[in-house]
Amino acid sequence: MIVSPEARLVDYKAKRALVIDDYPSMRSAFKMALASFGMTKVDLAATASEALVRVKGNQYDVIISDYNLGDGRDGQQLLEEMRHRGLIGLETAFLMVTAESVYERVVAAAELAPDDYLIKPFNGEILRTRLDAILTKKEVFREVFRQFSRGNLEAAILGCDEIMKNQPKYFVDALRFKGEVLVASGEFEAAEALYRQIIALRAVPWSRLGLAKTLHLQRKDTAAENLLLDMLDEHPELVSGYDLLADVQVNQNKLQEAQRTLSRGVEVSAKSPRRQRRLGEIAYQNKDMECAEGAFKAAIDKGRHSIFLAANDFANLARVHLEQGDTKAASDVLTVNRRQLQESNEGKLVNAVVQSRISAQTGRPEEARNAMREAMQLKLKGARGEPELILDMVEACVKTGLDEEASELLSEVARNAHDSVALLDKAKRIYEEAGKAAEVAGILQKSTAEVARLSREGALLIQRGDFKNGVGKMLAAAKEAPRNPRVLMNTVWAILRLLETEGGDASMLGDARRLLDDATYLIPDHPRLGGLRTMLRGIEVAR
Amino acid sequence: MSDLEQQDLYAALLHEMKNNLVLMSITLDRVPHCGSEDHDKPLDEVRLLCQRASERLMQALFIYKNQLGGPLLNAIDAYSVEDFVAEMALQADSLRSQLRIETEIGAEVPPIWFFDRNMLSMALINALHNSVAYARERIRIRVRVEDGMLCVAIKDDSDGYPPHILKTVEEDKPLTSNGTGLGLRFASIIAKAHTNNGRRGRLCLRNEGGAVFEIQVP
Repeated sequence: MIVSPEARLVDYKAKRALVIDDYPSMRSAFKMALASFGMTKVDLAATASEALVRVKGNQYDVIISDYNLGDGRDGQQLLEEMRHRGLIGLETAFLMVTAESVYERVVAAAELAPDDYLIKPFNGEILRTRLDAILTKKEVFREVFRQFSRGNLEAAILGCDEIMKNQPKYFVDALRFKGEVLVASGEFEAAEALYRQIIALRAVPWSRLGLAKTLHLQRKDTAAENLLLDMLDEHPELVSGYDLLADVQVNQNKLQEAQRTLSRGVEVSAKSPRRQRRLGEIAYQNKDMECAEGAFKAAIDKGRHSIFLAANDFANLARVHLEQGDTKAASDVLTVNRRQLQESNEGKLVNAVVQSRISAQTGRPEEARNAMREAMQLKLKGARGEPELILDMVEACVKTGLDEEASELLSEVARNAHDSVALLDKAKRIYEEAGKAAEVAGILQKSTAEVARLSREGALLIQRGDFKNGVGKMLAAAKEAPRNPRVLMNTVWAILRLLETEGGDASMLGDARRLLDDATYLIPDHPRLGGLRTMLRGIEVAR
Repeated sequence: MSDLEQQDLYAALLHEMKNNLVLMSITLDRVPHCGSEDHDKPLDEVRLLCQRASERLMQALFIYKNQLGGPLLNAIDAYSVEDFVAEMALQADSLRSQLRIETEIGAEVPPIWFFDRNMLSMALINALHNSVAYARERIRIRVRVEDGMLCVAIKDDSDGYPPHILKTVEEDKPLTSNGTGLGLRFASIIAKAHTNNGRRGRLCLRNEGGAVFEIQVP
């Protein structure tokens, strides 16, 4: 028997595994294979939802998932959902099993790649060597991961350097992880240099994608765009490249190009609800209602049963129908999805606003007013709505003469999205169409000034080392602008710094957790979130 | 039936067969050796046949997808040479217990190399299957770096390749015969698809106290 020297040190008896496969025979085959090398603590799941339940209740060392899962979701989406929700950490080994050798290409540039993948057919011994290799690697990186998840980003970087120096076998792995840590800690220039170093070794897709991302984060969007266009030319199947390219193009205000980019991305892989939603939003801005309709429909379709489906998806689709004058279709959206819309206040809010617009468009002003009153009630009870939806409410209020309510709502949008040109333009248009153009500038100006002042003062205090008062200002800013991701992230950062340096009470920790959740809800992909989340986890662990 | 439906049907059929073979292979692995030649020898043979059949199906799927315009390689990335060799050895070892499998990694070989692990291993497994069938006592998997190329060789103590095969590979002619020919053709395509800095990989066959099958990747 030939074994690599370090490999057989893994103690499988002590490890716990979860196997996810929709075929019962494959599940038991895995169980048998794992048992043959001593792994007996094995749980089985047939579907993604079953797997999520398992993962919530247990801590697994190893997750083995088939790529094709029966219930309309695949292993990659499951992995993303588990990581996004923080259900599994970096220390959990994730092995993807697939019959499709093409899957490698998906993984090659996926931002959230599994630790390794195994192509069917395979035998038990190969399964074991792959697990040996992953678990040994996890052991080598244990300290680095621990530092990273405690928010000690500098220590994590030093740990990577150490591995690069002493364990050449993991040189590229350490380099790759270091790149992620650098991005998480906002050191984009250093990350750029690192990715250039990897590309000099070999221009593997993930290194090019990493470079493009760091360029984008430094607002070097022209360079990022050229890089991504070249890469997609060579590797048209790298779906995450389209998402990044679209962001880069939106940043340069090239909305037509961004729409084309995402259309191509959707052609390569139609499965991601977030890609579909993004396409819908951009197509909507481009006034390409046909494309927007298709994309929003697909977002709902692909997002069913996953965390990636939100009440707002129904609002998006209904809005397109209303703009096409198809009140019947808009009404169908509400009927078909009644159950989901009644599940949360957000859903009820969407329902009320859309209902009100349908009534207004079909000449029933009384019903429209009632529905809008209900929407206002829901808002008072704390129901959150996307800015687009609030603007729908603003429009309805302006048209029915509820000027005070309109100005209140508009000011909320402005506070939370003071840097979104598209939204503010739309607000201006709404007021102009109602012949009230003069009012809008004042509302916008007044509502953004307070948030800006509080943020500025808070930042200044923190810079001077007065964390306590700085946090106070920041929290006030976050209260004014509860949906402004930048304000939220800055506040979380300030609270965490305060807790780290001076300690603080449990309610502070609760605030940080809540604000971070809110920010994650608003902008799930923002590069700062990972670092903040790990910093938070570090403080939680230390307590 | 439209062309597209037919293509889907072919792919689905190949997949289905492959999946069944996976299960068959895993089931066979559960049958232990018992020390009696009457039992162990046919068991080894049937395992080998099962693996060869699934390998062929993988190649068929690959060539089929490639003909539809799919790319040759899936993903070149950094892999540990040592782990790769250990895996290859295990593949050979699990097939026939009587053979001695030896591995040798030259001191000049760096710990990691960039290659398409899955495709390279598919190409090498063909040669391994051949050697398992023809070797007398031992198979040696040897890795060296020569002239900036990673050279992975599978060497056995068989009678070696027949001259006509050596000639066709050397002259880079397409091999049309079945059996060994198909595997070699596949290996050659995979080797050549590996490129780096303007250099291209290649397949070399020779006889040197047995058959030597070597893939070189830049």
